Amino acid sequence: MNWAADSCAFFAAVQPLGQLALSHYLITSAALFAIGLIGFLSRRNMIIMFLCTELMFQAAAIAMIAFSRFHLDVSGQVFVIFILTVAAAEAALALGLVVLLYRRRETLNADVWSELRETPTP
Amino acid sequence: MTEAVQLSLGSGWLAAVDAARSVIAGPSWAGWILWLPLISLVLCGVCAALKIHTKLPAWITVGSLAISFVVIVALYMSYRQPMEIPLLDWFNLNWRSNDGQAGSFVAGFAFYVDKLTLLWMLFVTGLGTLIALYASEYMEPDVKRGYARFFAGISVFLFAMSCLVLADNLVMLYLGWEGVGFASYWLIGYYYTRPSAVAAAKKAFIVNRIGDLGLALGIWLIYYNFGTVEYANAQGTGLFQILASGSYKHEAGGWSIQAIPFLLMLGAFGKSAQIPLYVWLPDAMEGPTPVSALIHAATMVTAGVYLLARMLPVMELHPAALPTVAWIGGLTALLAATIGMAQYDIKRIWAYSTVSQLGFMFVGVGVLTTYGAAFHVFTHAFFKAVLFLTGGAVMHGFAGQLDIRKISGLRHMPGWQITAWTMLVGCLCLAGFPLSSGFFSKDEILAQVFAVHRPWLGFMLLFTALLTAYYTFRVWFRVCAGPVSYEMGEEHHGHGDDHHHGKADTGHKAPPRHAPPAHVAHQPHPPRFAINFVLVVITVGAIISTFSGSWVMDKVSHSSAAVLHAADSHEHHPGWVPWLAGTIAVAGIVVAWHFHLASRKSADALRARLLANPLTRWLPTAMENKWYVDEFYEWMIVTPLWIFAHALYLFDRYVIDLLFVDGVARLPKWMGRSFQPLQNGVLQSYAVLMAGGVGLAILLVVVLMPHLRPWLIGFFGGGG
Amino acid sequence: MTAALLLIVPLLGAAALVVAPARHAKWIALVASTIAFVLSIIMAVRFGPLWTSREFNQIGWVGLIDAFGIRLSLGADSVSMLLVLLTTMLMPLCIWGSFSSITQRLREYYGWMLVIETAMVGVFIARDLIFFYICFELTLVPMFFLIAIYGAENRARAAYKFFIYTFTGSLIALAGLLYIAWQYAKSRGYHWSFDIETLTTFATDMSATEQAWILLALLAGFAVKVPLFPLHTWLPLAHTEAPTAGSVVLAAVLLKLGTYGLYRFVIPMIPLAVVEYAPVIAVLAIIGILYAALICWVQNDMKKLVAYSSVSHLGFCVLGLFALNPLGVQGSVLYMLNHGLSTGALFFLVGMVYERYHTRDMDQMGGLCNRMPVWAFFMVFFVLSSVGLPGLNGFVGEFLCLIGAFTASADNASYPGVLGPWYAAVASVGMIFAAMYLLIMTGKVVWGPLKEPGGHGHAGASRAHGSTLPADLTLREIGVLTPLAILCIYIGVQPSPITTVLGPPIDRILGNYPETVERLAQPDLRPEHDVIQVSGIEQGEPAVSGHQHYSGGADG
Repeated sequence: MNWAADSCAFFAAVQPLGQLALSHYLITSAALFAIGLIGFLSRRNMIIMFLCTELMFQAAAIAMIAFSRFHLDVSGQVFVIFILTVAAAEAALALGLVVLLYRRRETLNADVWSELRETPTP
Repeated sequence: MTEAVQLSLGSGWLAAVDAARSVIAGPSWAGWILWLPLISLVLCGVCAALKIHTKLPAWITVGSLAISFVVIVALYMSYRQPMEIPLLDWFNLNWRSNDGQAGSFVAGFAFYVDKLTLLWMLFVTGLGTLIALYASEYMEPDVKRGYARFFAGISVFLFAMSCLVLADNLVMLYLGWEGVGFASYWLIGYYYTRPSAVAAAKKAFIVNRIGDLGLALGIWLIYYNFGTVEYANAQGTGLFQILASGSYKHEAGGWSIQAIPFLLMLGAFGKSAQIPLYVWLPDAMEGPTPVSALIHAATMVTAGVYLLARMLPVMELHPAALPTVAWIGGLTALLAATIGMAQYDIKRIWAYSTVSQLGFMFVGVGVLTTYGAAFHVFTHAFFKAVLFLTGGAVMHGFAGQLDIRKISGLRHMPGWQITAWTMLVGCLCLAGFPLSSGFFSKDEILAQVFAVHRPWLGFMLLFTALLTAYYTFRVWFRVCAGPVSYEMGEEHHGHGDDHHHGKADTGHKAPPRHAPPAHVAHQPHPPRFAINFVLVVITVGAIISTFSGSWVMDKVSHSSAAVLHAADSHEHHPGWVPWLAGTIAVAGIVVAWHFHLASRKSADALRARLLANPLTRWLPTAMENKWYVDEFYEWMIVTPLWIFAHALYLFDRYVIDLLFVDGVARLPKWMGRSFQPLQNGVLQSYAVLMAGGVGLAILLVVVLMPHLRPWLIGFFGGGG
Repeated sequence: MTAALLLIVPLLGAAALVVAPARHAKWIALVASTIAFVLSIIMAVRFGPLWTSREFNQIGWVGLIDAFGIRLSLGADSVSMLLVLLTTMLMPLCIWGSFSSITQRLREYYGWMLVIETAMVGVFIARDLIFFYICFELTLVPMFFLIAIYGAENRARAAYKFFIYTFTGSLIALAGLLYIAWQYAKSRGYHWSFDIETLTTFATDMSATEQAWILLALLAGFAVKVPLFPLHTWLPLAHTEAPTAGSVVLAAVLLKLGTYGLYRFVIPMIPLAVVEYAPVIAVLAIIGILYAALICWVQNDMKKLVAYSSVSHLGFCVLGLFALNPLGVQGSVLYMLNHGLSTGALFFLVGMVYERYHTRDMDQMGGLCNRMPVWAFFMVFFVLSSVGLPGLNGFVGEFLCLIGAFTASADNASYPGVLGPWYAAVASVGMIFAAMYLLIMTGKVVWGPLKEPGGHGHAGASRAHGSTLPADLTLREIGVLTPLAILCIYIGVQPSPITTVLGPPIDRILGNYPETVERLAQPDLRPEHDVIQVSGIEQGEPAVSGHQHYSGGADG
C-alpha cells in the first residue's frame, strides 16, 4: 500500500477546499438524489425514469468526489470513473431496451409491463 | 440368593466336570455328517434346476443320509471320551481396548461329541434315512413336480438337525435351531398352492421364532455372564468347564444369571410345542406325511428336550426353573390329550398326542430324570414314526382320507395287514400297554415324579395316560377294526384340486358312501415295498427300543445331561407306579374298545347327551375346538397388534409426515406467501420498497448499532 | 493412484455418454462401471497389509485449495474399503438390471448413475472434510433426477422431499463439522485444516457441552440419511417412487452414507457426547426397529414394505454402532454390507415383478411361484437373508449388533458400555416382527394359488402382458441376482475374514471408550452397582440405572 501513502502525502500539500465546506457538496448530492428518487417513483415514462436513475448516479458521484477530496484519498475519484463508465454502458443498454419495449407496445408507460407479477395464491 | 444358586448347582455340576474335563480332538471325517446332507441339498437343487423328473433326488437323499448314518455309527464305535471336532471358522472376533482389556467372541462350525450327542444323532439320522426311503414311494405322484424340492427340504432338515445336535457352541446350535424351523417352513408349505398349507408354514415359522428369541436371549445372557458360548474347549474356558469349576462371578449374576434357564426354556417350548407355543404343531399337519413323521416323531420336536438335557447344568442356575418345566410339561400333556380325544383327523390326533408326549418328556427333564426323558424321546421316536407313517399309508391309499369316522376295518382289507398290525404296535406303545416300550419309558418318568414327591403332578400325568390310551385306541378300533367300509378322500395325496391326475381323475366328484371294495375307480391302493419295509423296520425298532433302557441310561449318564443322584433315587421309585400305570392303560383301552368297537353308537350317544345338557355342553365343544386357544391368541395378541400397526401407519403418514415434516416444510412457504403481494409487477412499487429498505437499513445502522455492538461482539467472540 | 482413477472413470463414462448415441448408452455405462469395479478390486489388492492396519490410511493426495487447508486427499481403512467394494460391485448390477426397465432418456439416466457412483465412492474414501461433504451432497443431485425423471406417478414430490429433507439435515451437519474446523483453526492461529484425522484428534478434547451440540448437528445430517426413527418419512416415499435401480442404490449405498458418517465422525470425534446420549439414540433406534416393522406388516405395496423394512433394519445397525463395543460396531458394519446385498436384491426382485405386471399391490397378485419359479427361488432366498436366517448374511450382522448391545452394560469388564440387556431384548422383538411381515409378504405373493393382476392371468402366456419380457426371469436378471446370492451365502458362512479386517480400525475408534465410560460413570456408579449385585432378581435393569448415573456424571 505504499502508493496510497505516497499519494496521501501529495494531496496533503495541496490547498483544501475554499469557503465551501463538505456539507455543501453533500447537500447538493442529497438534493440531486432526492430529485432523482422522487422522479423515478412518481413518473411513468420510462425515459424519464431512466434519466432519474442517471440523476441518482450523479448524486452518488458528487458525494464520492467530495469525500475523496475531503479525505484526500483518490480512491473515491477512481470509483466515480467506474460509475461514469458503468452509467454510460447502462445508458446504452437501457435506451436500447426502452426502444425495444416501445416497439412492442407503442407506449412508454412502465405500468404496461407487469409480466413478472406473482399471481396471488391462497 | 447366591447360596441357593450354589446349592442347586450341586446336582449337575459334578457331572459337567466329568464330561468337560477331558475333551479330546475327534476325527475330522465326522464332518461328513454335515457335508453329506449339504451335498444332497445341492444335488437336489441341481435336479430341480435341470428338471430331472425321475426318482433320482430320492436316491441321492436316501444314499447320503444313509452314509451319514454310517458315519455316525462309526463315530459311535470309535467313541472313547468327549470329543471336539473343529470344522470351519464362523464367528471369530478378537479385540483389545486401549487399556489392554482383551476379549473375544468365538463360535465356529465345530462338533462337541459326547454320548448324548451320539444317542440323538443315531436316531435322527437313522430314522431320517428310513423316512426318506418311505417318502421315495409316498411322494411318487409328485415326481414330475416338487419331488426334488421335497428331498432338498429333507436334506436341509437333516443338515440343520445335525448342526443342532452336534454343535459345540450355542450359536451353531442356534443355527440348527432356526434351520430346522426353516426346514419345517419349507416342508409344511410343500403344497404351496393350498392357502392352508402356506398359512400353517408361516405360523410354524413365526411361532418358532418367538421361541428362538427366548433361546437367543438366553445365549446372549450366557455370553454376557460367562464370556463364552462354547460348551467346552481345550483351554478349559467352555461353558460347562466354567460352571463346573465354579469360577464365574456368582455375585455378579443376580437376575442376569438366573434368567438364563427360563429363556432357554422358552426356546425349548417353542421348538417342542409346549404351552404356550404349541399351536403351530397341529397345523403343521398340512405338510406331506413323511414330513409330519420326521418333524414330529423323530427329530425336530425333541430338539427342545435335547436343549434342556444338554444345558442341564445351566438349567440348575435357578432353583425354580426345572419345576416350572415339569409343571408346564404336565399341563401341556393334559391339555393336548383332552384335545386329541375329540379330534377326528388321524394326523391331528397323532399331532396332539405328540404334544402330549413331549409334555411327558419335559416333566422328565423337570424332575431331573434326564434318563427317563431321553428314554421316552427314544422310544417315542420309533412308535410315533410308526403311527405317522401308517397314517400316511392310509392317506396315500385312500386319496387323502384321514377322518376316522370314514374308514373302518382296515385289517380285513387285502394288502393292508402290515399297516394295521404295525399301527397296533405303535398304539400299544403310545398307550403305555404293559411291557411295551412306551410303558417302560413313561413309567420311568411317572415313578420319578412320585419319587420327588410331586403327587399332584403325578396324578395329573396318570390321568393323562388314561386319556392317551383311550384316544390312541379310539383311532385303532375305528380305523383298523370293525366292519369294512370306507370313503375315498377328496384329494389325491393331499394336493390342491388343480393337481389331480391318474385314477382319481376319472370320477372323484361323487364318491359313494360306504362303497364296496370292488369299486374300480376308488380302489384304495395298499402300500407297496418301500412303505411296508420302512414300517416293518421301524416297528421292529420300536419293539427293540423296549430293551434299550440301560443303553440310553449309559449314554445319558456320561454326558452333560447326567444327573448324579438319579441313580440313587432309582431305588426310591414307588413300586406301585408301574402297576397303576399299566392298569390305567388297559382301562383306557377297554373304554376305547367299548365306545369305538363294541358299540360305536354309544360314543355318539354320549356326545349327544353331553351336548344336550347345558351344564356339560361346553366340554365337548371346547375340546373339539381345541379349547379355543388359537382364537384366544388371535383375539388377544394378533388382532390388537394388527390394529396397533394400522394406527402406527396412520400416525406415520399423518402425524409424523404430514404434520411435522410437511408442516415444517410449509413454514417458509407460508412466510413466502405472506410477502407475495409485494411482487405486483409495478416497477415503481419495487423502487419504493427498495428506497424504504435502504432507509430502514440506514436507520438501523445509525440508531441501533451502538446498542447492538456489545452484544454482537459477545456472540461472535469478537470476530477472532 | 488407483483411488483417484476410481473417482474419475465413472465421470469419464458420464462425459462419454454426453456425446455418444443413445443406443450405446447402456453399454458405455456398463463398461465404465465394470472398469470401476475392476479398479476397486485392484485397489483392494494393492491395499495389502493396510487391510489390517488400525489407521485411516492416506491413499491419495491432490492439492486443491491449499490456502484454506482444503485438499483432495483420499484415505481408507477396511470399513471404507468394504463399502467401496460394495458400491462398485452393485453399480454394474444396477446398470445391467436397468437395461429393460429404462426406455427413455437413456443417456441422462446412465450418466446420472455414473455420477452417483463417483460421489458415493468419494464419500467413502474422502479424507478431507470438505471433499467428504461435497461428495455427500453430490449424491443428492443424480438421485434427485433419477427419481424425478424416471420415477412413478408421485415422483416429483418424492424427489423434492428427498432432496430438501436430506439436504437440510446435512447442511446442519456441515455447520457442526465446520465448527470443529473453526475451533481447530482458532487454536492454531488460523492455520486451517480439514483433514478428518487431525480434526478427530482435536475434537475429542473439546468440552462436553460443545460435543453435545456437535452431536446434535451431526445427527441432523446423518440420522436423516440413515434414517433414524422420527426422521424417516422421506424414505418410504422416495423408495416407492424411485426407479428400481434408484431404489437399489438408495437402499444399498445411500443409506450407508449416514451410518458411515456416524462411524467416521460421530463415534471417534465426540466420545463424551456419544457416551452421554448413546442411550437416547439407541432408544430411537429401537423404536424405529419395532415401529417400522409393525408398519411393514400392514402394507399392501411390496416396495413400500421393503422400504419400511429398511428403516427397521437400519435401526439394528445404529443400535450396534452405539453399543460402543467391538461386537456391536463390527456387527453394524457387517449389517451395512448385508443390508446392501439383501435389501438391494429385494428391490430388484420387486422391480422385476413390477416390470411384468405394472403393479406392486400384493392384494392383486399371488402364487407367482407357479408362473415364475426362478424368481420365487430368489425371492424366498433374499427374504430369508433379510429375516436373518443363520447361515445367510443377515444373521451375522443382526446377531453381532444385538449381542453387542446386549453386552454393552456398565459392568462388562472388557468393554463397559451404556446400553445393556434390556435394550437388546426389546430390539430383538424386531426379529419376530421381521419374520412376520416378510413371510406374510412371501405367503401372499410367492405361495398360494396363482393370481395375476387383472388381464394378465390367462394360462399358458409365456410372455407377460405389455412387456417384452418372458414370464420368468431372463438370464440377464438371473445374472444380476446371482452374485448377490453368492455373497449372501459367503458372508453368512464365512464372516471371519471380514471381521478380521474390521477388527483393527474399529478397535482404534473405540479405543478410548472403555476409559471414557468408566470416567463418566465413576463418581457414584460403583456403590449403587454393589446393591444390584446383592439384591438379585428384583432389582433388574442395571443398564438403565447405570445410564442415569452416567448422565449425572457427565453433568458434573
